[in-house]
Amino acid sequence: MRWAFMIMLFAEALLTAQNVNYQQDSKWRAPDEAAAKPNPLAEKPELAAGGKKLFKRNCMECHGDSGQGLKKAADLQLTVVQEQSDGTLFWKITNGNPDRGMPSFSNIPELQRWQIVMHLRTLKRSDAK
Amino acid sequence: MTARIIAFAVLLSSAVHLHAQEAPYFVTYDHHMEEPGNLEIATWSTVGIPRDGQKLFFAPFSEFEYGVTARWTAELYLEGQATSGDSAVFTGWRLENRFKPLKREHWINPILYFEYEGINEATKILKEVVGNAEVSSERNADLARVHAHELEAKLILSSNIHDWNVSENFIVEKNLSAEEGFEFGYALGESRPLSKLASGAECRFCRENFNVGAELYGGLGSTNGFGLHSTAHYLAPVIAWQVSDNSSIHFSPSFGLTNVSYPVLLRFGYAYEIRGFGSKVARMFGGRQ
Repeated sequence: MRWAFMIMLFAEALLTAQNVNYQQDSKWRAPDEAAAKPNPLAEKPELAAGGKKLFKRNCMECHGDSGQGLKKAADLQLTVVQEQSDGTLFWKITNGNPDRGMPSFSNIPELQRWQIVMHLRTLKRSDAK
Repeated sequence: MTARIIAFAVLLSSAVHLHAQEAPYFVTYDHHMEEPGNLEIATWSTVGIPRDGQKLFFAPFSEFEYGVTARWTAELYLEGQATSGDSAVFTGWRLENRFKPLKREHWINPILYFEYEGINEATKILKEVVGNAEVSSERNADLARVHAHELEAKLILSSNIHDWNVSENFIVEKNLSAEEGFEFGYALGESRPLSKLASGAECRFCRENFNVGAELYGGLGSTNGFGLHSTAHYLAPVIAWQVSDNSSIHFSPSFGLTNVSYPVLLRFGYAYEIRGFGSKVARMFGGRQ
């Protein structure tokens, strides 16, 4: 009986924990100091290839292989995303937005997070959506 | 129904991506949570190398870790044990929940951990070490008859300092089935990836796929006698290798530091992660993703 209850509890968590469709979160803003931080790898564009690999590994599931955005995750090709500073994107990758289901990726080494930012800059811009 | 069961099996066997840079610790927890909707399935084992008067044992356990939200991770464990010259027994299950109270990353990141353990006295996975060390000469069949309902809480503090992770766990455990008081323990861990940068090539043996470190853990007595007297402590180098995008292998030899510790505990494990598991299951049962 106790087993059945625990399994039901686990299944309930699986079924109810999904987020609603993605909408921009205007409250999710990087502090000015973080937003102004320059990418320390900016002079080494060849490192974006490593960022692409990391993007595939960590981001593609929700943001799509071209960053077009799947499920509730943001379309990273949008100008409103691409206009954000490197420091802002780095801060958002580092902290996540737990209320909207985006986890923190602070477990990825700092320079590798900057590599992901470099890859984000290679995504095709689109204002179609 | 059969179609759903087959679909579920396909879902479980589908190759998907493992979260990068998972900490290599076996005992210590850091502040990183499972990604929401992802299910990690892992099998871990502890092998106890005996000293005189002890017996070699092998204690495997399975772990199912699910990211309920970005700030809540739940885990179910099933465990067993086999002792040399004795029998193999199922030793119980554990249900664990970790909560991240703060939204953002900080210099020190706290995590609150609560676990219920429905185990028996034959358990030897040593997922944590608390209280005083006990050496039992009873047979598995007798130990398995003594059930224990235990509650465990941990305060997990974790920091990312440059590329190092430094984590401290403070543990308190209460056996509701016996008059043992509250038992205390600790775990400390430090780790880092071998490479700060990711190479552009798909490679299995790249330095960035390896995460190495060390952990120190042990018991601190109980409310019946707090302190280091007659407690087990271990120092363990740890290594995790991300074999592919969807799987990782972990290994750690733990060395006993006191005469009531096992001389060596060999720990190893394999983990893989199913991304978007929750939404796939929800869709299967007619829910929204």
